[in-house]
Amino acid sequence: MTQLVVVSGKGGVGKSAVASATALLAHRQGAKVLALSMVGTGGGLASHLGAGALSFEPAEVFPGLHALTIDRSKALIEYLREQIGLPPFATFPPVIRAFDALAAAAPAVREIVTIGKVLWEVKRGHWDFVVADGPPTGQIGSFLRAPTSISELVTGGRIADQAEWMSDTLASQNTLIRLVTLPEELPMSETQEMLEWFEANPVVSRIEVVANRVMPELVLDKIPGGRVGDAALLHIEIQSDQRVWLERHPPNEELSFLFGIATSEAVASHLADQMEAW
Amino acid sequence: MSTKTILVTGGGGVGKTTLSAALGVASARRGLRTLVITVDPAKRLADALGVEELGTEPSPHPDEPGLWAAMLDASASWTAIALRHADPKVAESLVANRFFQAATTHFPASQSYAAAEEATRFIDGRAWEVVIVDTPPSAGGIEFFTAPRQMTELVGGRLLRWLTGGRLPGRRFLFDRTARPALKIADQVLGAGLLEEVAAFLMDLRTTYDGVAARSREIEARLKEAATVVVTTADPSPIREAVRFYRELPELADRPDAVVFNRSLPEDWIGATPGNTEPAAMENLLRWGRESERQRDFRNQFAERYSTEFTVVPWRSHPPTDRDALADLIETSTGFDLRALLPR
Repeated sequence: MTQLVVVSGKGGVGKSAVASATALLAHRQGAKVLALSMVGTGGGLASHLGAGALSFEPAEVFPGLHALTIDRSKALIEYLREQIGLPPFATFPPVIRAFDALAAAAPAVREIVTIGKVLWEVKRGHWDFVVADGPPTGQIGSFLRAPTSISELVTGGRIADQAEWMSDTLASQNTLIRLVTLPEELPMSETQEMLEWFEANPVVSRIEVVANRVMPELVLDKIPGGRVGDAALLHIEIQSDQRVWLERHPPNEELSFLFGIATSEAVASHLADQMEAW
Repeated sequence: MSTKTILVTGGGGVGKTTLSAALGVASARRGLRTLVITVDPAKRLADALGVEELGTEPSPHPDEPGLWAAMLDASASWTAIALRHADPKVAESLVANRFFQAATTHFPASQSYAAAEEATRFIDGRAWEVVIVDTPPSAGGIEFFTAPRQMTELVGGRLLRWLTGGRLPGRRFLFDRTARPALKIADQVLGAGLLEEVAAFLMDLRTTYDGVAARSREIEARLKEAATVVVTTADPSPIREAVRFYRELPELADRPDAVVFNRSLPEDWIGATPGNTEPAAMENLLRWGRESERQRDFRNQFAERYSTEFTVVPWRSHPPTDRDALADLIETSTGFDLRALLPR
């Protein structure tokens, strides 16, 4: 069975880095991996994986690891042809434009196309491991709930038929939602809100919280003067603030702050090293 | 009174709200009547300014003469838009439509649009010399700028025009669909009736078009006149978000008026050599020195690439919680002085 990990988190917490590291680790362990970006141009995923600009067609980053970004219009055509089973003539431009516009008013349509593409790649059985660099926590709920929303919105038609297996795939044990957070007030409270959302909307069965950029402990007999002391004070203050949040809402896993790692590729690779020890 | 508008943009978690508040305090302390507006639903701005809560209408700061603040309520936005731009009967039927509910919760541009509309109202009110807008973080704040167009697009009804062949229809057209085989395909996919229901909603929404379109043009004009400040940290991801705006909307602003690198480490931590201090403390300085060096190189690469000046704001372990600490944030920053953006 293909494993699926959907990565989300508040903006700026290192979502793309963690998604990329997740893909790298699976690849190291011998899986045939697809990494995909659900929103935007996939720039974050591309730079962390060391790939060029991503497109809707999966590109081989290196043997055994492919990456793509979901272009909504192309995903829509593919969705209508492959999943809904419309003949090619029925996906001529006016129909596509109409669906595209419909997505603005009936938003579950837009989201079903995106999450549908992710789940389609899982269903195809072509990959051992699919990692989705998902939308931020503020939006991920509407994507994960899209199959359910569609069932409520559309009572007949082929979209409704498709929604069922999508819901099943999301709820399966092979799907993991990895919520990335930082040990700070705002990301932590947003993560808690997200967990409450999952309580109210049980659309998935496996959720994991990963705290990123955790500072190591620093124990000193006394604080020296000068810049050694300044650096020590900054570190100890940040670290003790972090500890408060980590104790209040213990995450499932932690990733350490990376000091002085300059390139996005090196960041992803270091994070994958850390994940290997989980 | 002419109003100087400063739009503070940037991705999530970079310290945008804190910087907006700091700039607000600095401006008020120069004797300028200043308003700071935030769209962030979090209490960050209230916390930073040390007030209990902020209303949706500007209120004066109890202890800081000349400083006003407000928090825009973006959630009530669609209802407000409907009431402002549609006639009361249509507004009633709009609000009752189930797609209205779906669209209000999901069409993200609507919240940004409402925020931009409100901000423009305060700018045009001419009651302040400086209006500082802490823009919503979605997509690096770009949505705040694209929202007027997206709203115009939506209520202009691309779908509606397609459904009706370009004419603005009466409801009767919906049932006269023999010539439109594409509608049959759509019904197969979506289930019968869905498109009709959406179209009815869009037709109601369409009546707000003239109002929204005219207002959008005014809003864009205000945004264009404003100074933009990008807040970022020295990391690739927030920078990628920040430069998106200038790449994608060069007609609104082709470059930032100021770039702020927040959470910067002292450069004299770079290249420390082991001395006779406790090894753990020395090792700690060395790793932070490596991080400081990475930040410095990153800033310099950015400046070279975009040939722009920048402001360096030091990393504080705690966000400032009083106005003196906020003012201090601007005082202790180095490089480009943000106060140069304020009117003389």
